[in-house]
Amino acid sequence: MLVFDHVQFYYRRGQSVLNEINFSIEQGEFVSVVGGNGSGKSTLAKLMNGLLVAKQGSVKLDSIEVSDPAYTPHIRQKIGLIFQNPEDQFITTNVTDEIVFGLENIRVPAEEMQERVDQALQVVGMTSFAQASPHELSGGQKQKIAIAAILAMRPKWIVFDEATSMLDPASRFELIQLMQSLHQRGITIIQITHHMDEVLVSERVLLLDQGCLIFDGRPDHFFKTLPLESYGLEAPFALRIHKRLDWRGELAADWKGRAASQWLNR
Amino acid sequence: MNPSDRLIVGQFLERKSSLHILDPRTKLIGFLLFMIVVMLLDTKSGYIAATLFVFIVLQLSRIPLTLYIRGLMPLLPVVLLTLLYHLLWGQGIGEGIRIFWRILLMVLPASALTATTRPLQMAQGIETLLKPLSKLRVPVEQFALMIVIAIRFIPTILEDIQRIRLARKARGFQSKRNLLSPMIEFIQILVPLLISTVRRADQLTLAIEARAYGDGRGRTVFRRLLFKKPDALATLLIVLSLSIIFAIDMLFPY
Amino acid sequence: MVKSIKKETTAETRVGWELHDVSVQRSGRDVLQRINLTLTPGAWTSLIGKTGAGKSTLASLLKGLIPRFTGQYLIGSQPIATDRKGKSLVVPEIGFVFQYPEHQIFETTVERELSFALRMRGDSMSDIQKQIQNLLPKVGLSEDLLPQSPLLLSGGQKRRLAIASVLIANPSLLILDEPTAALDPVSRRQLLDLLQDWQQEKGTEQKRTVLFISHRIEDVAEYSDRILLLHERKLLAHQTANELLLDHSELLIQSGIPLPESIQLLRLTEQLSGMTLHPASCREADVLREVEQIWQIPQEGAKHESF
Repeated sequence: MLVFDHVQFYYRRGQSVLNEINFSIEQGEFVSVVGGNGSGKSTLAKLMNGLLVAKQGSVKLDSIEVSDPAYTPHIRQKIGLIFQNPEDQFITTNVTDEIVFGLENIRVPAEEMQERVDQALQVVGMTSFAQASPHELSGGQKQKIAIAAILAMRPKWIVFDEATSMLDPASRFELIQLMQSLHQRGITIIQITHHMDEVLVSERVLLLDQGCLIFDGRPDHFFKTLPLESYGLEAPFALRIHKRLDWRGELAADWKGRAASQWLNR
Repeated sequence: MNPSDRLIVGQFLERKSSLHILDPRTKLIGFLLFMIVVMLLDTKSGYIAATLFVFIVLQLSRIPLTLYIRGLMPLLPVVLLTLLYHLLWGQGIGEGIRIFWRILLMVLPASALTATTRPLQMAQGIETLLKPLSKLRVPVEQFALMIVIAIRFIPTILEDIQRIRLARKARGFQSKRNLLSPMIEFIQILVPLLISTVRRADQLTLAIEARAYGDGRGRTVFRRLLFKKPDALATLLIVLSLSIIFAIDMLFPY
Repeated sequence: MVKSIKKETTAETRVGWELHDVSVQRSGRDVLQRINLTLTPGAWTSLIGKTGAGKSTLASLLKGLIPRFTGQYLIGSQPIATDRKGKSLVVPEIGFVFQYPEHQIFETTVERELSFALRMRGDSMSDIQKQIQNLLPKVGLSEDLLPQSPLLLSGGQKRRLAIASVLIANPSLLILDEPTAALDPVSRRQLLDLLQDWQQEKGTEQKRTVLFISHRIEDVAEYSDRILLLHERKLLAHQTANELLLDHSELLIQSGIPLPESIQLLRLTEQLSGMTLHPASCREADVLREVEQIWQIPQEGAKHESF
């Protein structure tokens, strides 16, 4: 379980980025963290595995303080982070080396590495790119390699920090599908996003606005009750239709169901 | 810019060549020895012999010569500057050409070295060669990772330069046709380049930390370096050729 | 010199930009194949296509950033200017906003960044001041920011600054390469509205000309007069937004662009009701109105069948 307890964070004193954040996420959930540009959601992601340290309060993963230096490798192995920019997270110049990098850090025996690399590449469907260099990959493919590099470390949790926001629609759908299949494998998924259609695939929504946690609950409840526009967000089309056609609620419900399934089957 | 159009120092190219299969330590030591020999060269005949040696090495890498030569282009301003310096304040054109030649003799083998060696292996090679220093508390592993990252960043930085130059050009900047203008432009680009590089470095630090990189101690190693038969043969050949170059330099004083 | 450029600009505004059979090759492979198109002055044209379709190349070509190509590129019926070696020269009166504009800020203060293009053009200091004062409110930046370093701005401010420093030169054609990428929905709409206001600004002789690159058609459909659809290096369509979305949406599907949800709803409604719908335009509001009307007529049979 990941627990945020009265967390406060700022980069410059007096300019609070996150304030009084309290929530907990159980192992196995699929959670979306949403909010407009500058709402503090990326900072939240970096607090989850101790890349940033809370100024006040505590962040604990299975009762271990994530910023405790004694447990750093342990925490980083358990909770992986995928970043927004596919360009700036490649450390080496070759796909296999990239995946191996994390494995070497968590002291995986050399004999076991090849197997883990192959497995991770297979899960993300990039087996034929094992020897490619980052120059040869598209943004979406780079993100898949970043995911493989995290998967090979066998984490229980993966945080996607706006990992889809720089991708074109087709790659975005692929990445969302990948998140779902990882979730089915028992990995807890926390995705940070401002694409509302991505929220539809999750089980729970956290809404951040100006550093405060405004909402924590189910997606349908979230879409029903909140004035999304005022948080820099936009209701998904199905919901806008639903409001326009509320006298034909059934159609909208059916449309929403179809849209979601069409979208997922793409 | 298409990365396959030119070969920049630091870029690795996957090929099946006799240079690619060598242990990085063999290549590193060979490279170092060759550098020392180039430094000691005194005569034209020595330079010609060394050039011949470089030419053979480049051929062995199975990478077209044109790629290497186009890769030299970004270095052109620096080379021109040294030439200019020697013309104005040095010992004239002859000395300038000699320096220019020497730079070529150093840069070309360097790009052959990095083009045929995976950065991670290179780092590992450097790390094992420097291992004795870790007894003196020199952070050898961190140094090795630094090299991997530096190599990884070279093409990115070149792209950034290209991007900033395009942005300036698109907003009406025209370089003037004189010798100083490339330098002035370079200085103007330097500040935004530094900023974008720091931003990238920041991001990369997070990515490295997020993948459990610790103090670098006690990491396991995926590919163990092995000094094999070809390496012994290559070392022998390198030492032999370098002795010949040196001998030519001593015996034919032109 | 400066004056003559301005005169040319007005001449060109009347005639437009034409490509005839233009192909571009890189490393022996085509990145654009036999493109024929005319950009009409005063129109907002959106360029749509998947990643790798050739959108950025086409935009760079128009700006004169691609030195060599085959075919003809006419600006106001004149071929694009070339240097002695026959390489195309940058077209100064076209404004170009690159992808992730905030990464291309290169000056040390906001004011210097804004004035760069004007200084390069040789405008006088007082002129520059006037133009900056004039532009700032339109792009939502305050005057206090002028002496500051661009580094201190927020992400959204940086992006608006980068775009403003191109707008300020009053380009005859403004090209933007995915300027809304990674923005949240509200910021995206704000930026699009800002650009539309600028394009249709009162007091100018006619509307300004914009070429807007995007991979999401729903973002730009409502703003566009015409849409260019690029697919695998070829131009697949050059139509009004209404024609493309309502009559030829199969072209979008063919080139791997997901249909806007409003159009998907239209198709689904047609399927469920068995009727062909003719909304007034492809705007979301018009499509919804049409769908609403259809469902007001009781379609009991169809309804029971489908639920």
